Amino acid sequence: MTLETVTKAEVFFLNLPFWIATAIFIAAYALIVSEKIHKTVVALFAAGLMLVLKVLEQNEAFHVEEFGVDWNVIILLISMMVIINLMRPTGVFEYIAIKSAKLGKGKPFRIMVIFAIVTAVLSALLDNVTTVLLITPVTLLIADALDVDPVPYLLSCAFASNIGGTATLIGDPPNIMIASKAQLSFMDFIYNLTPIVIVLMVTYIVIIKLIWGKKLLTRDELKQRIMNMNEKEAIKDPVMLTKSIVVLGIVLTGFIFHGMLHFQPATVALFGAGLLLLLSRTHEPHHVLAEVEWPTIFFFMGLFIIVGGVVKVGLIKWMSLQILDLTQGNMFATSMVVMWFSAFASAIVDNIPYVATMNPLIVDMARQLWPDLSGVQLLQHPDLMPLWWSLALGACLGGNGSAIGASANVIVVGMSEKAGRRISFFKFMAYGMPIMIITVMISSVYIWLRYYVLGI
Amino acid sequence: MRAINLMVPLVEYLNPGNTIKEAANLLRTARRDEERIGVKALPVLDENKELLGILSIGDILKSVYPPYMYLMELGEFAWDGMVEVLAKKAADKKVKELMTTEVITVREDSTLMECVDHMLKNNVKRVPVLNNENSVTGMLYEKDIFYEITRAMFNMEKP
Repeated sequence: MTLETVTKAEVFFLNLPFWIATAIFIAAYALIVSEKIHKTVVALFAAGLMLVLKVLEQNEAFHVEEFGVDWNVIILLISMMVIINLMRPTGVFEYIAIKSAKLGKGKPFRIMVIFAIVTAVLSALLDNVTTVLLITPVTLLIADALDVDPVPYLLSCAFASNIGGTATLIGDPPNIMIASKAQLSFMDFIYNLTPIVIVLMVTYIVIIKLIWGKKLLTRDELKQRIMNMNEKEAIKDPVMLTKSIVVLGIVLTGFIFHGMLHFQPATVALFGAGLLLLLSRTHEPHHVLAEVEWPTIFFFMGLFIIVGGVVKVGLIKWMSLQILDLTQGNMFATSMVVMWFSAFASAIVDNIPYVATMNPLIVDMARQLWPDLSGVQLLQHPDLMPLWWSLALGACLGGNGSAIGASANVIVVGMSEKAGRRISFFKFMAYGMPIMIITVMISSVYIWLRYYVLGI
Repeated sequence: MRAINLMVPLVEYLNPGNTIKEAANLLRTARRDEERIGVKALPVLDENKELLGILSIGDILKSVYPPYMYLMELGEFAWDGMVEVLAKKAADKKVKELMTTEVITVREDSTLMECVDHMLKNNVKRVPVLNNENSVTGMLYEKDIFYEITRAMFNMEKP
């Protein structure tokens, strides 16, 4: 099948836009990896170039889903950030963290396990960066209280957040992007990814037990410091907290049923953000909106346009043909290539630009395989589904592979350094890489067993 | 009236290599007018008396304050004795690690209004005074400008 299509693709090499778009794409990704210039600046400038050099028309960049900004992703991210920003001042996150530490009865390893589970669950519901920002300050306080080394706790927090974030549609940006591209629902992720993430978390806890189980020691009088903390003091605004919980409940229910109700996830999140803003009775939405991580949002927008450019000129199609050629159209082999390549790529590159590139690549692959299908029938072809899940698992779990593999890691390393405990790149990798490899191995078995042996 | 007329001539200052313990002691005992009642901030100078930074009582407070506490509301969950333990850990840190390096300064011939301008816009209560060789020759305090303002209000002569 490939010979004819490859020849067709080679036509692209002859035109100028192909080379312009490819050059912009490669230069932009190289600059993002080098971190010489802020990634958002690179993405916006490169996106601007794609438009100015007429690779893409402005209309395509802003209004055509295939080539431009995926507003579903953008609005979902912004809305969730607004909801969290409104919830933070209520003190609910401090409450959860202190309560967790007390559940651990001041025992260092027990606290570590409970924090790992809480981090994973929160990461599944919020984005990982937010979770880590909410959990690490309390982690550091607890480590100070118990007079134990905070580094294992911080590392564990990053790892657990990357694993937990894999579980749901809203848990990690790659999943949001994949869901939007393949038109998958929240429940699709719950059915297909949550079970394996639970297995991975159990494995993860066994791993940290082996690494740190016997190393964290404290004294009994220090445990008392934890038990003396009164988590109820954390709640600053009980009225707003109640409103937040109600809205969060509506949003989660909305996510669970959005497929059935034919709402996009962004619709649900936007409604929730609007409702909570209204209920907060704020007259100054300025600061809530200002706290949205605009650099991340604009990074996404720029990337969508850059990738749109290389999709339009056919680079992505050419790449997809190479992969199909390599795996000879064997879907299990393709799944494994996608998962392992994604894991290592995400350990090196930010997984967001990576998934932004892989998404259209997988769609193109599907077009090669089933040229007669289109729409959901194409995007959710039964044989294609394991590929989406492999991409999600590889890209999310790959984040654990290195200190720069995920934004959560970068934050944890930064906080540790501020606390006077530098985590070197290699120290992070010494723990993260084995954890990544073990979790991806288990995920590979899961994909094989569930989709290629049992076929469910 | 210019800065040089109101400033307190430089007597005591810190070196960047001083420990926080030494700095805290000097802040506590530095000469203020005739008495040794301490000052709220001291300039940090190199061997040529060139200004490197300023270290205030606030910086000493920050030396025991864990950075993670800025990020969340955790004050209620601190325990008795936390500050004391962290103070012992901070004692051997160096002045250069904790000093503020972006210092608002005035020149000896700066007018009083220029001094007020710098203090209000930057929300500082004391500024080092520099001579033409960029060496620090004194400190100008909010309080001394206040006295000058009251003298003007009551048409008093400078004592």
